[in-house]
Amino acid sequence: MKYLYAFPEKCTGCRECTLACSLKFFGECNPKKAAISVIRDEFRRYEYPMICYQCEDPVCLKYCHQNAYEIVDGVVIRDDDRCIGCRMCAVLCPYNAISAIDGEIIKCDLCDGDPKCVKYCSTEAIQYLDETDELEARRKQMAERVLGIASD
Amino acid sequence: MTKGNVKITETPEEIRRLFLGGRGLNGYYLYKMMKPGMDPLSPDNVLIFGTGLLSGTLIPNSSRFSVTARSPETGFFGDANCGGYFSAELRYAGFDRIIVLGKADRPSYLHVHDGEIEIMDAVDYWGMDTTDVQLALRKDLGHVESAVCGVAGENLVRFACVRTGIKNAAGRCGLGAVMGSKNLKAIAARGRGGVEIANPDEMFEVCEELKDYIMGSKITSILGTVGTPLLYEVSNALGAIRTKNSQLNAWSDSLNADEIEKHVDKMISCSSCIVHCRHRNSLGGEGPEYTALGLLGSNLGIEDPAEVIELNNVCNELGLDISSSGTYLAWAYELYERGIIGKDMTGEDLRFGDFDLSRRLLHDISRREGFGDIVAEGSLNFERYGPESKDYLIAVKGLPQSDPHDVRYIKAFALGIATASRGADHLRSRPTLEIFLKLPPEVKQRIYGEGVNNDPASYEAKEKSVYFSDNMFASIDTVGICKFICHGFNSPHFVDYSWLTRLIHAAVGWDYTEADIEAVGKRVIDMERMFNIREGLTMADDTLPKRYFDDPSKLKIAKGHHIDRKEFDGMLSRYYELRNWTEDGMVKPERRAELEGYL
Repeated sequence: MKYLYAFPEKCTGCRECTLACSLKFFGECNPKKAAISVIRDEFRRYEYPMICYQCEDPVCLKYCHQNAYEIVDGVVIRDDDRCIGCRMCAVLCPYNAISAIDGEIIKCDLCDGDPKCVKYCSTEAIQYLDETDELEARRKQMAERVLGIASD
Repeated sequence: MTKGNVKITETPEEIRRLFLGGRGLNGYYLYKMMKPGMDPLSPDNVLIFGTGLLSGTLIPNSSRFSVTARSPETGFFGDANCGGYFSAELRYAGFDRIIVLGKADRPSYLHVHDGEIEIMDAVDYWGMDTTDVQLALRKDLGHVESAVCGVAGENLVRFACVRTGIKNAAGRCGLGAVMGSKNLKAIAARGRGGVEIANPDEMFEVCEELKDYIMGSKITSILGTVGTPLLYEVSNALGAIRTKNSQLNAWSDSLNADEIEKHVDKMISCSSCIVHCRHRNSLGGEGPEYTALGLLGSNLGIEDPAEVIELNNVCNELGLDISSSGTYLAWAYELYERGIIGKDMTGEDLRFGDFDLSRRLLHDISRREGFGDIVAEGSLNFERYGPESKDYLIAVKGLPQSDPHDVRYIKAFALGIATASRGADHLRSRPTLEIFLKLPPEVKQRIYGEGVNNDPASYEAKEKSVYFSDNMFASIDTVGICKFICHGFNSPHFVDYSWLTRLIHAAVGWDYTEADIEAVGKRVIDMERMFNIREGLTMADDTLPKRYFDDPSKLKIAKGHHIDRKEFDGMLSRYYELRNWTEDGMVKPERRAELEGYL
């Protein structure tokens, strides 16, 4: 199974990934209206791509009272027809990976296996790779780190 | 600002199509709205922040905006281009351009958010350095992107810059002082909107192609690894690095890119940038660029890269233009050494190579204390320093040369800084390919024009190199794309008129030919020339520092080279002819009537 993996140490903060994502979904360039975001602060010196971790036990799925989420081949998919736009998933996602803006819920579906964000990353800070134990360990570690930052 | 009013209007599409945006529309509005002969530091100045037509989009390196006003440093067209995240955010907040008129009765800032502009009280922010004020704005307003002035701008230092982020600056022409004169500390923008794209599929297609093209270039990976400091070594090897106020033309290898790299933590980007040439340095700031290495290093006689980086960081925090600061300090140091100015004026010994002195003076300039208060007047000091002093200032039209590149060897560079609309500056028209000695003559001629001599020291047809670059760079400045991916700036490839036709069609849906876009560039340049002529410019202002004419370079390949006055005059006349200006460099009446017809 292939997943997105983020390498923040390589991220330069340019946000091309987010712009490509918003352009694909909405025909506009808007870094806040995308299924991926880059948390960056030049003063505090960090750039961090926030991606959907396609959790094994995702809160978006667990708490959706419309059952709009399901896991298909390891990818957490939102069904637009079932979704009523309540934004519960966006509020609950601990990784801030689901956006709710202008009445739209935006959730990464890995672009059916050809993620635009990866294509536009010029430094390989986001990669679409076959999962390995090492990558998975890294991904879990990063997810925990994000949770740590969030709880700070 | 005087009345505390905000008015929101649309620019007519006809005018947008003629000037596109950024520097182009800024120049149009400045010419239209500014009365001639007004004091640049009075409420009569018109201060314009304008995003590029393509800013904030997926298009690589589309991060730029321009700031424009009558320059308090030169009295001529004042304009500076800047990267970072402000331009994109201003568009996401719903605005392409902000025109600031009058003067607020108290320190103020503009809060721009989701289609609204509010004039806010900035009393608590006044007196803050550029980083502190941006942090304070974020604390109070959330994650805004801000364009601010530093203490230097508040104190009307004539070469104060506009800053955004750690080091991105609309550096040139003293536009930070114009902010200060209007009691405007900052414009803080934040928006949830996006930039609508006319043809999304086409945008993906052209951007993917362009990205691969740019990423495949060697210069991209070099710029992304070491940034502009790579140019220091190139210029220094030629004997073309401004050293100790251009008394010398070569300096220490200690400022080479591989030495600078030791102080770099990470390379980072502006919005949409795939080149990532910005250094996050280990001394708490960003940079240095090649400009800082030259003007705060070799030009001040400083060899230690850590000291240069520190001076660079100080300028950024205070909001001082690095090129002007390094030039004015070196000018004063030489005048002192020559006895043209004395201790009665300076209050202390001035000398090259003294890091502490330079650092202290930068602080004094920004706060207008002691001798710093005098230096803060920039090139207006001719009178105070005495008539002889003029011969030693490396400036054109009152604007210190931006580029640390000593132009005595490469003749086209000399013509470029002599004719650039804002004064001595390499970002308007530097025909960089002249420096690539190994570039085949046919490549250079294909780009610059027939008959351009391949020898950089030749004057033959060099007006064509400048003319080409002038038009190309003006066009790119209207769309908000960085010059680092502009055809002819760093490479014989990259975004040219053909790419621009495709990018504009994808983003906005307008059909342009390559000639149409070149015509935009020419229109922009003529409009800026008209502004300058209206403020009193004559052909005598299209000249060079005396030293470049009369003192041959002393070291390395450039040894013995200087600019021959007669040859220079010939090159200048031929340039005027190409521009279709009159023999004395004026815009012809019919052209003026045409452009004024759009006002």
